[in-house]
Amino acid sequence: MNFSRRRLLQGSAAFAGALALPRLAAAQDVLKIGQVNASPAAEIGWSKQHALGIEAIKAALGDKVQVTVVDNTFLPQDAERVFRDLASQGHRLIFGTSFSLGQPMQKVAPQFPDVAWEHCSGIVHLDNLGTFEAKYYEGMYIAGIAAGHMTKTGKLGFVGGFPIPDIVGPGNAFLLGARTVNPDITCSVVFLNSWFDPGKEKEAAQALMAQGADVILGMTDTGVCVQAAQEAGVYAVGYASDLTSFGPDSQLTSVVLDWSSEYVGAAQKVLDGSWTSESRWDGLAEGVVTLAPFNAAIPEDVRAKLDAAVEGVKSGEIQPYAGEIKDNQGNVVVAAGEVLPGDAVRGINWLAEGMIGTLG
Amino acid sequence: MATAIDEGMTPRLELRDISKAYPGVVANDAITLSVAPGEIHAILGENGAGKSTLMKIIYGATSPDRGEIRYDGRVLGHHSPAQARALGIEMVYQHFSLFETATVAENIALCLPGRMDLPALSARIAETAARYGLSVEPGRLVADLSMGERQQVEILRCLMRDPRLLILDEPTSVLAPQAVEQLFTVLRRIAAGGCSIIYISHKLDEVRALCQRATVLRGGRVTGSTDPRTASAHDLAVMMIGSDLPVTDHPPASLTPAPLLSVQGLSGRPFGAQGRALDGIALDLFGGEIVGIAGVSGNGQSELAACLSGEAAAPAGRMALLGQDMTGLRADQRRRRGLAYVPEERLGRGAVPGHTLTQNTLLTGYTAGLVRHGLARYAQARARAAAIISRFSVKAEGPQALASSLSGGNLQKFILGRELALDPKVLIVAQPTWGVDVGAAAFIRQRIIDQSRRGAAVLVFSEELEELIEICDRIHVLSEGRLSPSIPRGEATKSRLGSYMTGVGRMH
Amino acid sequence: MALRIEPRREVTWAARLLAPIAAVLLTLVFGGALFWTLGFDPLATLYAFFIGPVTGLYGLTELLVKAVPLIIIAAGLSVGFRANIWNIGAEGQLTMGAIAAAGVGLFAPQGLHGLLLPLMFLAALLAGMAWAGIAAFLRARFGTNEILVTLMLTYIAGLLLSWLVRGPWRDPMGFNFPQTALMPPAGTLSPLDPRFRVTASVWFALLVLGLLWLFVSRSFAGYRLAVGGAAPRAARYVGFSEKGAIWTGLLVGGAAAGVAGFYEVAGPLGQLSAVISPGYGFTAIIVAFVGRLHPAGILLGGLFLALTYVGGEAVQVSFGIPAHITRVFQGLLLFFLLASEFFTSWRITRSGA
Repeated sequence: MNFSRRRLLQGSAAFAGALALPRLAAAQDVLKIGQVNASPAAEIGWSKQHALGIEAIKAALGDKVQVTVVDNTFLPQDAERVFRDLASQGHRLIFGTSFSLGQPMQKVAPQFPDVAWEHCSGIVHLDNLGTFEAKYYEGMYIAGIAAGHMTKTGKLGFVGGFPIPDIVGPGNAFLLGARTVNPDITCSVVFLNSWFDPGKEKEAAQALMAQGADVILGMTDTGVCVQAAQEAGVYAVGYASDLTSFGPDSQLTSVVLDWSSEYVGAAQKVLDGSWTSESRWDGLAEGVVTLAPFNAAIPEDVRAKLDAAVEGVKSGEIQPYAGEIKDNQGNVVVAAGEVLPGDAVRGINWLAEGMIGTLG
Repeated sequence: MATAIDEGMTPRLELRDISKAYPGVVANDAITLSVAPGEIHAILGENGAGKSTLMKIIYGATSPDRGEIRYDGRVLGHHSPAQARALGIEMVYQHFSLFETATVAENIALCLPGRMDLPALSARIAETAARYGLSVEPGRLVADLSMGERQQVEILRCLMRDPRLLILDEPTSVLAPQAVEQLFTVLRRIAAGGCSIIYISHKLDEVRALCQRATVLRGGRVTGSTDPRTASAHDLAVMMIGSDLPVTDHPPASLTPAPLLSVQGLSGRPFGAQGRALDGIALDLFGGEIVGIAGVSGNGQSELAACLSGEAAAPAGRMALLGQDMTGLRADQRRRRGLAYVPEERLGRGAVPGHTLTQNTLLTGYTAGLVRHGLARYAQARARAAAIISRFSVKAEGPQALASSLSGGNLQKFILGRELALDPKVLIVAQPTWGVDVGAAAFIRQRIIDQSRRGAAVLVFSEELEELIEICDRIHVLSEGRLSPSIPRGEATKSRLGSYMTGVGRMH
Repeated sequence: MALRIEPRREVTWAARLLAPIAAVLLTLVFGGALFWTLGFDPLATLYAFFIGPVTGLYGLTELLVKAVPLIIIAAGLSVGFRANIWNIGAEGQLTMGAIAAAGVGLFAPQGLHGLLLPLMFLAALLAGMAWAGIAAFLRARFGTNEILVTLMLTYIAGLLLSWLVRGPWRDPMGFNFPQTALMPPAGTLSPLDPRFRVTASVWFALLVLGLLWLFVSRSFAGYRLAVGGAAPRAARYVGFSEKGAIWTGLLVGGAAAGVAGFYEVAGPLGQLSAVISPGYGFTAIIVAFVGRLHPAGILLGGLFLALTYVGGEAVQVSFGIPAHITRVFQGLLLFFLLASEFFTSWRITRSGA
């Protein structure tokens, strides 16, 4: 292993030396950080929030770091080479920002034990491969309470990218929040099997509205649901970024992801030499999950309830996944008096009672 | 008459020192000639002598490198075909440019300026046709016209524009002998009206029958200018090809007892709806003889040849090769049994244009030792190509020359050589000497005769009656899909064959 | 004074050879100019794009990982292209090959050991052939345009893959993400050297090129296809079967693409997911033509096109130039290739000169 690494570094040192002489001179002091994104750079959504994470590193650490971003690496065959190139070129901290990048990261990380690897949405941990993830469901629970107050029809709509636990769990929490207001509320579910398919997403949102849903939650990489709700004169809840610009009247709030602390924290620890492989899962309390400003249409008394709920979740007094909870087949999945443990939340593959639809 | 014209008036057309070179070849080299008003002037020469280039220069389709063109005494600069037409220069091409789905009047209207007034135009057409003795009916569809009638439409189209100089390029190649006579009558009338005619041809007898003056070209140069009516055939031949017309040796035939190729009741449309229908064709071909199929193209020649070669199938009829049924056999199976075929289209059918002569030898040589264990033997193919090139005096850079780099005549020699190298039992040749110069044509004809005298059965399709009369032992005429009885050598005269071609002598 | 386009009377071998080289050089020049206008040092960026990725042994092997599927597919396609059989659906045939290989790898009974990989190979080959065979059947039987059929079948294959990885074949342990389980170890190709990702597919690509050479320049079957492509009437004249050419041309291309799918699944991919190819099947068409349908040319063309992918990543990593630069370079190359092709066969003259 040692031998092979040396050979690899020789090859890439020649490569790096040939084209980046001025940078290499300073490279000894500067921490080189790499970030690999599966999707192209964008103005909103998942990638944008991760780009903001990189910006936060630059702002906090300035010329102590040097950052390389590689976008649009959606094929695992290519990702493996990109990760290897980054590691070979002296990047000591490398972020992978998509679940689909897991396989190649797990392959490459053991070959570069000196490099700190951080996988967002990852599940598998290695000695030098850490993961971080946000408790989207905390924010969605609050948004659900808002939706519960604002719906007139008692019907909500949910458009999800993929039926993976990271999306299904928050979807459930959205309805659970709404049902604290009115236990008869239901939520119809559609999965696009794509993060980015505006045409299909718009059709899905319109179909949900046609069925009577008057608050639509979109967990994709677009602002389509918020926009469709604006056009139809109903409400929507955004995800990842504040999507107010897509629907100034329709967006009740948005569950905004702020990865700054994850990015800056990891970089600082690598600089300090204190980085270890962790599995971090942060939410409202840590500020990784935040809520965009509430819609002006939400009445004052409801706002107060929402603010109180936020504080309750932060303090742990309110547990969104507190029993009793049934799935939409009628099975009890969380017994009364119990709280679903974290690992189970991260592996949710059932839809809660009142969710109309199937996984897949 | 000619002398009086020459000296009395300004020439209609005068070329001085016209030269035109293409990369690798001088097409026209210092050509000077003069055409008087009302004169029928022949441009006589073999294929490749520079006739076509000269006509394009006169018509404005291309510009000379050097030299001067005077028209009615005025110097023409670089002129376009449109300007040429405005000056009264009209051209009838060898291949017609008529719309088959339109009527005669509509076709003519398309070439005339101004608004289309069909009734008035039809009246003018009828009147002009009557004046020159053309039998053109304005209302008929071009698709229904014979080749000779289409040519009359082309000529009429020119006459409607009151031409002062009419150029005709090999006009008799598509005509039956009787139609040739009719054409000459029309041309004489046109000339009598003061219009000059340039008549491009390589046929001595036609030029001598029609023209008052002949300019003879060979290799891009003028080799003589004479009055063909008084010059001897020998003199003209010497001017045209540098020697006397070659003659072929035609020993008597000794026939095999049974036919090598036998056709019975071949009927229907082998090419589908577009093509001509064959009508009960029956044919026996014995080893040792050459049988000719005469007739104007479009009467079923392509269909019959394709049926024999195996490229197409007729709906009805049986065919036998060497006594065995071959009706259902594919072309390659027939070839493996000893049939060879030289098609009329050389480039693209008889040879692959972008392939070398070596590769093109393999095209049919695969039946004769050029393929072993599924692998092509290119060394042997190359040697065979080289042998063909030398034996048939093919002008080519060698076996690696592309087929498309050869002139039509040389490619024809190569293809015929290639097929003869297979020593076929049955040889079918379509238009053996189209576009081939006189010397090479005689050589090709002699090779065909030789193959038959070695015991092969040979079938020759040709539009040139003289050729068939020269080499064939018997001649059938194919007209409107029907085959006439065969006329033995000696009895086959142009007029007799011609009567079958026009349907007069049909005797079914 | 108008310009006129005339055919050249002679097309020399030197010109045929120089045309692709000129196209590559022009691509470099224009690519460099593009980098320069974007504010980068053109020489340094071109170096990073075209030289940097292949300066080390690792880089070379990565280039092969990318080039091998292109070369295998292009070699297969070139057989049909020589006969004017336009299989442009290699992407779909690759997908079907990958699906078949993965199906065998995932669901074949355990304990096949050394037999599993050959079985996956065979399944992929047959699946690719079958997918192309649909187009061959429709063309030979009904005269259907194989360009449209192969292209449309590509979308069907893509949707089938999408359905499988989201439905019946989804990895039960994969958190509902649209991908299958990993191939079992017996269904995974080990790298030739543990340091690199390159597998035995390299030897297969060389074998395919060798066979293609034999087919093109020695075999009578290859000659018949070439005649059919260059002059269909000549092929009819001597009785070379047109249907035979259709079947051969499409099946060989389909088989090659299917096998390329196998090598992806058993090699760098290791599983099926919703997207398995960066358009190898389409890029291989460019490779076939850059290589003039000749084995040596396809080898070079495949390596060069692979370099545009790897180089695109490299300049993104080292200069932050957007990844779409790869497409720009491929487009430039194709454009200049067509242009230089044009000028080897035609020339522009001033009329009247």
